Amino acid sequence: MAMYDLKINGKTHQVDVDPDTPILWVLRDHVKLLGTKYGCGIGQCGSCTIHLDGQAMRSCSLPVSAVAGKAITTIEGLSKNGDHPVQKAWIEHDVPQCGYCQAGQIMNAASLLKNNPNPSDADIDAAMNGNICRCGTYVRIKAAIKTAAKG
Amino acid sequence: MNKLNRRHFLRISSISGGGVLLSTLIPLSCSTKQADPDPFEWEPNFFIRIDTDNQITFSCSQSELGQGTSVGLSMIVADELGAKLEDLNIVFAEGSEEKFDHLQDTGGSNGLRMLWGPLREAAATTREILLEAAAQKWVCDKNQLYTEDGKVWHKNNDQSIEFGQLLDMAKDLVAPDEVSLKDKKDFKYIGRSVQSRKSQEIIRGRLPYSIDVQLPGMVYAAIQRCPVWKGSLLSFDDAAARAIPGVLDVIEMEPTELQAMDYRGGVRPGVAVIAENTWAAFEGKKALEIQWDLGPNAGKTENDLRKELENSKNNTQQVTYDIKDAQQAYRRGKSFLEARYESPFQVNACMEPLNAVADHKGYKVEIWAGTQAPQLTRDRIAELTELPPAAITVHNQPSGGGFGRRYFVDYVEEAVILSDIVKRPVKVTWSREDTIGTNKYHPFRTEYWSAALDERGYPLALSHHGVVERPNGFRPYPYGLPAVFHKWIDYQNGNLLPRASWRSVAAHPWGLGLECFIDELAEKAGRDPVQFRLELLDKAEIVPQKFHPWVGDDLYPKKLKRTLEVAAEKAGWGKSSGSNVFQGVSSFAYNTSYCSQIAEVSVNNDQLNIHKVTAVIDCGLAVNPSQVKAQIEGSIIWGLGALLKEPIRVSNGAVIQQNFHEYELMRMQECPEIEVHIIESEDPPSGTGEPAVPGIAPAVLNAVYAATGRRYRTLPFSLTQQNNS
Repeated sequence: MAMYDLKINGKTHQVDVDPDTPILWVLRDHVKLLGTKYGCGIGQCGSCTIHLDGQAMRSCSLPVSAVAGKAITTIEGLSKNGDHPVQKAWIEHDVPQCGYCQAGQIMNAASLLKNNPNPSDADIDAAMNGNICRCGTYVRIKAAIKTAAKG
Repeated sequence: MNKLNRRHFLRISSISGGGVLLSTLIPLSCSTKQADPDPFEWEPNFFIRIDTDNQITFSCSQSELGQGTSVGLSMIVADELGAKLEDLNIVFAEGSEEKFDHLQDTGGSNGLRMLWGPLREAAATTREILLEAAAQKWVCDKNQLYTEDGKVWHKNNDQSIEFGQLLDMAKDLVAPDEVSLKDKKDFKYIGRSVQSRKSQEIIRGRLPYSIDVQLPGMVYAAIQRCPVWKGSLLSFDDAAARAIPGVLDVIEMEPTELQAMDYRGGVRPGVAVIAENTWAAFEGKKALEIQWDLGPNAGKTENDLRKELENSKNNTQQVTYDIKDAQQAYRRGKSFLEARYESPFQVNACMEPLNAVADHKGYKVEIWAGTQAPQLTRDRIAELTELPPAAITVHNQPSGGGFGRRYFVDYVEEAVILSDIVKRPVKVTWSREDTIGTNKYHPFRTEYWSAALDERGYPLALSHHGVVERPNGFRPYPYGLPAVFHKWIDYQNGNLLPRASWRSVAAHPWGLGLECFIDELAEKAGRDPVQFRLELLDKAEIVPQKFHPWVGDDLYPKKLKRTLEVAAEKAGWGKSSGSNVFQGVSSFAYNTSYCSQIAEVSVNNDQLNIHKVTAVIDCGLAVNPSQVKAQIEGSIIWGLGALLKEPIRVSNGAVIQQNFHEYELMRMQECPEIEVHIIESEDPPSGTGEPAVPGIAPAVLNAVYAATGRRYRTLPFSLTQQNNS
């Protein structure tokens, strides 16, 4: 076990965990930030996507020892009032069904738009292809990303 | 204790029962007014509660799996009661047969259809009592009053009063004998696409799934289950697992028997690791060394099932149903057409892995789970623990996908059994590998169709051996041609993998066979596939299929015909949109809903491209059109996954795939354009979660035939597959 000071959504949290623990489980079971979801544990589905220094990362495959000193943003910290352009577009297009993958989808989309404010269809496909939605909300996710880009 | 205080007491106690969870359900717009000095809550029925702060709570009996039932039902409450939808507090009802009869469990795309009547009546009755209370308070005629936005209003002078201010009087009134329901033109929400509170919670990461439940003193469990169904545990070495920091205990997981109704339970034997957190439990599980007796299924693959089903078909001559003397007609055939369709194992792979929290106190059990079957779960856990149902509380949470799998109780049984052993609250979380490799599965099925044709190639009669013994509301036969059905064909040695319901269940293999075979018949008869279906549906009689309360209405072939006509028009049937683009069609009825689909594909360089799917749904009155369309879009993508992706395969009795790199799901860039049209209807609403699943594979395969001249009858689709003609 080891002590880590983690910067999460602008606040510092001290945790005492095994250094191999993926940041996903530190967030969920230790810090009790439950918006970030476990989906596959091997970086295949994107449900656990967070931002690390502003870049989208799969938190299930990122040990806590690798993130010390870096700024972590989770869905809870993406915006104060749920009004990030991507979140607003998600509401406008009525995207979520079960919603379980959507935090990861939103975090990934926000990162995409930060790096590429006017993505083409192919850019969106390429960036979002690592995020699985079993309900099949892809058509609306794509439309919402385009709306957020315009907004 | 007087009535008022007793209600107050009940309210407090229900909050203390789940206080940690309720914090996530605080309404988005909190009232800033002064609290009533003596607050209480009025519960005129088991769906609706109103408190003196005018907080209106809808206790949703049906499960929310992402299909939007809770949204549609809350729209009904808001409209019929006269409340603001965005102010409605939605909670999920605990499993309770005494409150909700036996209609609470969610399956068969039934939620809106079954509650449309009872829920409107409950809300309308509540409204009438509140109007009566206001009429007495203001000493006026009740007919001069109406409800809107959580208030009673006077038509003439715009005077208004909140429902919450009327409860002192309302609580002592009796309900009117009869209530009138609102006219459609007075609906504010029903029929319009709404932005739901559920979505607002989801985009902030705040929807409280059961995997997010935290209880004081709770421990975390992961279970290594026997990889082969019907195998058993011989021995295990847990030294390495126990050495992992955070691991508290390792326990043998004794199996529970698969029940006669398979959804009632059936846990595989296994070894459970109990830990301080999920990660330690998962790591501990990986470190276990286990010896299994793999049992009678070891060494088997789905090839064995294929042979068993073939044998069963050859040995099954017993006729179970004959439409229009089909056996006679069949003998007059001048030529015959036979086809065999195959649908492999699939798994639901809900994005939220199966999980449940149980707190077994010895004398009572509390459960937190995203379940489609809170009543069934309560009943089964009472049976398992030998406690009365009243001692079992099932706190139903929103589910991260269900698709039928969460109708089954086994994953709750595990948590209850472990909590009984460790005497603490236990959260069992399935790893993704567990949900793919040792789950319950959509069965491997084959469908055999044949037809006797007259001298012009027109079908005289059809004959079927397969998944059903006779059509019904979930596996309907709308076409009216003479048809004979046989005793259903089955595996000789029981199923190789335990069964789960999988979005549309047996309608999936049934629809694959029926809708592809009808296309083959159209070709033999020299007819266009759309025209052929339209002719049959035009002549076909209404099929009696009502099955109270599960199947809402008889099958009206003309409604299916209408969806097909609109689909053909919208998709431009027969007008190719490009030189190499070909169309295929399907039309399918499912429990009172009707859906036709037209797929546009091209096949170039041995590569299938699905460009567009046009779907037309008749689901009666579309309560929330956005969600109706979302369900059809999702169903199409679901069905395309089963059509295009590698299915669950079995080797030596065990599932080969373990995670999403092996059991692949559809991803964004593989999705075709999807256009959904809704038939305008005044009929009561019916379901949309499943009706579009069975038809998508046939629509695509029929389009592939148009493109290639080759019939593909086996899922998954592969241009080079064997076993086709």
